[in-house]
Amino acid sequence: MRRAFATMGTMASIELPAAWASEVSEVQRIFRMIDDRYSLYSPDSELSLIAAGHTSLSHASPPLLASYARALEWRSATGGNFSPHRPDGTIDLNGIVKAEAIEHAGEHLIAVGCPEWSINVGGDILVSPTGAATPATASASPLGPRVMRAGIAEPLSPTELLCSLELRHPRRAIATSGSAQRGDHIWRAGSTEPISFVQVSVVANDIVTADVLATAIVAGGQTALDDVTDRWDVDVITVDRAGAMSATPGLLHSLATK
Amino acid sequence: MSTQVRPRAATARPRTALAAVATAPDYRRNFARRARLSDLLVVALWASGAAAAALFLASGGVDQFTSVAETVTSIGIVSGLVGTDFILVMLVLAARIPLIDRTIGHDRAIAVHRSLGKPALYLLLAHGALLLTGYGLSSGINPIAEIGPMLSLPDMPLAFIALGLMIAVVVSSLIAVRRRFSYEGWHLVHLLSYVSVAFALPHQLSVGGVLADGTLQRVYWIALYVVALGSIVTFRFAEPLVSSLRHRMRVAAVTEIAPGVSTIQLAGNDLRGLEASGGQFFIWRFWTPRTWWHSHPISLSAMPTASSARITVRNLGKGSAQLTTIPVGTRVSIEGPYGLFSDAARTSPKLAIIAAGIGVTPVRALLEQASFAPGEATILLRASTAEETYHWDEIRAIAAAKGATCYSMIGHRPRGVDSWMTAADYERGVTLQSAFPDLADSDVFLCGPTAWLDLIEADVHSSGIRPQQIHAERFDW
Amino acid sequence: MRTRAILGSILASTSVLIVGYQAGVSVTTSDGTSLSLPVDAATNGTAGGTNAGTDATTDSSTGSTSSSTPGSDTAAAAPTTAGPADGTYTGSSVSTRFGNVQVAVTIASGSITDVTALQLTDEDGRSVQISNRAAPILRSEVLSSQSAQVSNVSGATYTTDAYLSSLQSALDQAGA
Repeated sequence: MRRAFATMGTMASIELPAAWASEVSEVQRIFRMIDDRYSLYSPDSELSLIAAGHTSLSHASPPLLASYARALEWRSATGGNFSPHRPDGTIDLNGIVKAEAIEHAGEHLIAVGCPEWSINVGGDILVSPTGAATPATASASPLGPRVMRAGIAEPLSPTELLCSLELRHPRRAIATSGSAQRGDHIWRAGSTEPISFVQVSVVANDIVTADVLATAIVAGGQTALDDVTDRWDVDVITVDRAGAMSATPGLLHSLATK
Repeated sequence: MSTQVRPRAATARPRTALAAVATAPDYRRNFARRARLSDLLVVALWASGAAAAALFLASGGVDQFTSVAETVTSIGIVSGLVGTDFILVMLVLAARIPLIDRTIGHDRAIAVHRSLGKPALYLLLAHGALLLTGYGLSSGINPIAEIGPMLSLPDMPLAFIALGLMIAVVVSSLIAVRRRFSYEGWHLVHLLSYVSVAFALPHQLSVGGVLADGTLQRVYWIALYVVALGSIVTFRFAEPLVSSLRHRMRVAAVTEIAPGVSTIQLAGNDLRGLEASGGQFFIWRFWTPRTWWHSHPISLSAMPTASSARITVRNLGKGSAQLTTIPVGTRVSIEGPYGLFSDAARTSPKLAIIAAGIGVTPVRALLEQASFAPGEATILLRASTAEETYHWDEIRAIAAAKGATCYSMIGHRPRGVDSWMTAADYERGVTLQSAFPDLADSDVFLCGPTAWLDLIEADVHSSGIRPQQIHAERFDW
Repeated sequence: MRTRAILGSILASTSVLIVGYQAGVSVTTSDGTSLSLPVDAATNGTAGGTNAGTDATTDSSTGSTSSSTPGSDTAAAAPTTAGPADGTYTGSSVSTRFGNVQVAVTIASGSITDVTALQLTDEDGRSVQISNRAAPILRSEVLSSQSAQVSNVSGATYTTDAYLSSLQSALDQAGA
């Protein structure tokens, strides 16, 4: 069964066996808690208070500092293509906390033993690892865990699919970044080049890596794409301004089968 | 000096082995080997705890310390893993594995088993508390409120029951409580530890995921469970069953040798095949309707022949009282032999043996088998009254035959002073050194009631000989 | 003896923990490290060939030590440059995150003219390319997908408004 609800300024859809329906509220609570801490839309969130100068960063809560530190590590790793700062210097952890929230929710579902699930928040998807738990529901296939097939949206017409691919352990996460919808979503470090990719999807073993690297490639263009595919064990599908696609070799197999 | 009893010529001389004198074993090397093995076992014990934690770190645990909640949760997981590891090690220690028994002896294995009980329970309690706190922190509710959602997880209710059972097992075993408990009650509660281990297993698989496919963790934990449960099944159930069926022991005669003390003569097949050493004990079960449910650890009081063995029991309580009236022909099942109170524990060429009361029984068998040259062994027999001189005639006969010196001391301990001697000997200024001038080169075997043994053991320790030369067995029944 | 047991326990436990920790750390950092392919033993062609990127002096010394090998005419072919001799060099098999990799390097006139992957398999035993570089693909190469086949749609972050008109929204309504 599936549940959708609004959170973090976007929509979340959770898919899990009906027997585990009660976990949805738990996941919802995890999202709400993280949203309360990091949202820049809500003036009372911890991050808003820091951004507004009411609270010093040195007094921030350990989880916020941990997220910030993680984001800074990613900034170094991506040569600044991913950054937790807006051009004006404001800390904006949006680029990482959504993925972290998905990660936490996924860990929770694994911890409670939910056998088969997917979490999609604003187009970033994480699915359950294979064999995470003994499938206790009738929906589980006797032949093993179901392959989760995820679609990638057409950048300029979100009601159509660009393609679809398999998500299966260990490649459990896909995140898509683009300049098509939220134009101001990605901060680019000092680059004046026009954005070369309108949409970048990264398939990775964990959702934070997928999300951060997708953002970094949109910001850093072709150089960042080559750098990322060389240094990380991820697969990438890009769509450029002309609508042409590129994909890493690891995906060709997955893309070509139904 | 102490009262020297001239060894009398024995009238009914028991069959004694005199052959062993020829070549004395290399006690020093034997001891060094046992010490090495024993140290290795200690190292293995601690390393297994470390391995439980290390495998968690190796399988991605290193990353799980980034937030407070995660850190608390991770520490909770590690304490659960180490606690479970200790519980399994405790099972191994209590499994009476021959290698462990021959290396450190059953007594010490059980002492280590006992000393691990509390730490293991604390680790498991910390496991529960830290995980409730960690999960509570990450979902923003207090640890007590977290119990509800936790119980709704699969296998978790069983895990909570397992923890409850483990608390009951450990608490019932802590000595203070145990004194208020009957042995049977304690034993019954102790059997629940198997249930606890079994109940805790499902949540380790489903929620804990330690058996995730293709991980080293899986290999380690499966191996540990197999070793722990396998050795229990093998050495506590299968091996005794096979041995009992093979030797088919029955009670052949029960003879009262002193008021309240009887020897039980047992007949069976190929009893030399038991490979028991003098001084070792078996755990006996006598299959009468009144006694089958209670087993008794009792030492052999003579070396077995091919078809007979003998134990000596004192009518001390409900259980052993029934043994003195056991009918001839009763079938007997056995577990053993166990214990290091034997020649296998020797570290020195000479022997000093001191036994009191019913504690002479293992000493009687030990002396019969021990290898020493004439003049190298000294025995001191101790009793409160002349009635308690069980088997003294036999011991004197063996001593005479093998060339050992035998002293005796009969009388009560002095009042108001902590001494293991008789009041008369104490006043005459007898000391351990005056009775045993070669103490420094001797293995000292002590056997007797706990209160007396504590005194003499302290005295022997203060004489300055190395701890490995002292072999003590507390013998209250 | 007790001291030995205590010291042994401390030593064993500490090293077990360190090994575990290191194993855990190396698992987590493997994503960030770059792929390097040591091409060492030359099984094909003349001896002395090493990884093409290495120092020329090292090459010259290895070349001279093995100059007695039959067929080696390093000195004659390249008397001044002292680079690796022409020929094809096969590296040893190296385990990488792409699977087992073995490459052959062809060198002509002192420069690499070709690198061939000899043995490349992924975990499933399928052969894969050594480079993970994204390459252009035609839309026709991608089988057309219908929304019924997928359970989720990945897209650039959409606002709640944009969600209402998205495929994901349709999927969510269908599965609710």
